[in-house]
Amino acid sequence: MALKKTDSSKLLMAVCSSVPISDLLDRASQGSDKLHALSTIISQDLNSHFPPIGQVIMPRPSMCHTSSLQTPSDKQQTLQVSESDLLSLARSLLQAWSDPLLMGPAAQTISLLPFSGGNDIGQDRISQLINFNFLLSCFRRDSHKIDSFLKVLRCRATKAQPQMC
Amino acid sequence: MRRDLRGALLLLLTAAVQSSSMSAPGKPVLLSCRSPEKETFTCWWEPGSDGGLPTTHHLYYERERLEGTYECPDYLSAGRNSCFFDKNHTSIWVDYYLTVMASNALGNATSDPFKMDVMEIVKPDAPENVTLRVEEREASPCLHVRWMPPSNTDTKSGWVTIKYELRVKKDNSNNWKEYTSGTQTHFSLYSVSPGGVYTVQVRCLLDHGEWSEWSNTTFVKISNYLQNERPLSMLISILSAILFIMAGLILIAKRKSVKQWVLPPVPGPKIRGINSQLLQSGGSDDVGNVLIIKQSFPPIYFVWEDQMEDYLIVTENEDWLSSNSQKRKKSLIPACFHFDSEIHSKESPCHKNDWEKDEEISQVDNNNKPFTNTGYVDFQRHVENVDVKHVDYSRVKEVKSDNILFLEKEKVQSSGYIHFQRQEGIPEDYSRVKEVESDNLVVLQKQNAADLSCKDEGNHYTDCALHKPRKPHVCTELSDSGYVDTIPAPPLM
Repeated sequence: MALKKTDSSKLLMAVCSSVPISDLLDRASQGSDKLHALSTIISQDLNSHFPPIGQVIMPRPSMCHTSSLQTPSDKQQTLQVSESDLLSLARSLLQAWSDPLLMGPAAQTISLLPFSGGNDIGQDRISQLINFNFLLSCFRRDSHKIDSFLKVLRCRATKAQPQMC
Repeated sequence: MRRDLRGALLLLLTAAVQSSSMSAPGKPVLLSCRSPEKETFTCWWEPGSDGGLPTTHHLYYERERLEGTYECPDYLSAGRNSCFFDKNHTSIWVDYYLTVMASNALGNATSDPFKMDVMEIVKPDAPENVTLRVEEREASPCLHVRWMPPSNTDTKSGWVTIKYELRVKKDNSNNWKEYTSGTQTHFSLYSVSPGGVYTVQVRCLLDHGEWSEWSNTTFVKISNYLQNERPLSMLISILSAILFIMAGLILIAKRKSVKQWVLPPVPGPKIRGINSQLLQSGGSDDVGNVLIIKQSFPPIYFVWEDQMEDYLIVTENEDWLSSNSQKRKKSLIPACFHFDSEIHSKESPCHKNDWEKDEEISQVDNNNKPFTNTGYVDFQRHVENVDVKHVDYSRVKEVKSDNILFLEKEKVQSSGYIHFQRQEGIPEDYSRVKEVESDNLVVLQKQNAADLSCKDEGNHYTDCALHKPRKPHVCTELSDSGYVDTIPAPPLM
């Protein structure tokens, strides 16, 4: 009986061919592209409500909650990172943003977010907006990181198809 | 001494005059920064007033995750009032804080800080080397556009993703038509018509940054080659016209058959035995022949063989009417039959003649006599459907005298029965039963000897009232096993 089982499982493995990595990465990078596009549009829309001078001098309350993650900071560094490391970085970033309100030291500042249901007194509202804007900028940056890493991986996986790069 | 004093005073005056237009420089303003390929970037500023003195500008920056303040590495590469950050000095996903300081002999002025991230300032150069190629196809020409990505972008490692857009304009109109090309570096336009000058421009986008400028315009003129094609199209149209005319002529020539095919004739109702053509064309004689069954025996016979008909008894005797049901279902029994064999009515040759006989009789006798004046209008009925079951037959065991019949006690089913000739002009061959004595003795009424035109000679049965001579083989002999029809309905008397 056990022998038969392994035979059938082997047979299943032979019949089900795996999806090529290039296809998976292509699909993933399409998703990250959309994600980054959305975050860009939203943060630009929010910035348009501030006076131009306010955008520039806006204080940063703290570091992004994902700052602790060591990511490459230019093209050369990025291309030197191995594929598995790039993939794990992308995955960690995505995981960090699955529920950002729980993560890191920024959690205290985020408590002032509009939807926390607190009192809307003038001063609070501005700080709420500032904090929310800050959160969005962190998200935009991280989504761009994820997008860039996946696209580099996709290009590496499709050596035969230069149009994918 | 006085001259020196005057000179000094003049100098002091000019100096005083001059020194009123000199001041510290005005505050410069950082305009924008731009990265064309995500690897380097350039920033531009606008200087304020220079205060009349030569003023120098310096750009200083601080960077996230980097301690210290640094000065711009390259003031020259990007032109005046600019700062170019090369690959070594460019980091992405980190914030830069830039300030420009203008300084002259009298003072300094510092611009407001400018915060930026390389990710946010991406704007590529325009695509290069846009080429147009006209493909002249039969129906309509099409235009193939090809271009190259900007030369400074890295398209090999996947670091940048470039999307393209192009726009086309015909002749000198101001209506540009825009198309999105995705990441392809070629595009085909099919909505072009010959005889026009088309202008094409391409631009590109890097990641989700800003669109580049439009490329240099490229022109192409599509020749008006349709004139050459005219003779051919004319020839084709002439040929097709000839074909159509020929087809039309053929249709007209064969219009009858075409009409038949398109509108098939609807079949009219058919009455069996009546030939509508005959009705239309024939005389009254023929019509009469068709309607009256007098002469057309063969057809009716055939009709009889095929169809099933009920018999409808038509009688003028009210008594009989009241006592009998109007309809009696009987099969047509041949007068002649074989006693010693099964009756197969269909196969019996006698059938034919008997039917003839009955018909004749029914036609001839119209006298009103009670009970006897029953004419049958026979509807054909399938012999098997005869309600033979309703009719019980008793086999005649013995015929004693000329009016006594002994019946067998057992009842026998049969589909045949005998017709007895009656001398009173009765068309049917019935003998009137005078008396039924026991359950197997039937006394028949004696016939009037005077009227007897045919006599019952013992067991023989002779056919009497026929107008037409009977054929010898038609008559058969009544043997001992004769059948008398005993109808369970009210007695025949």
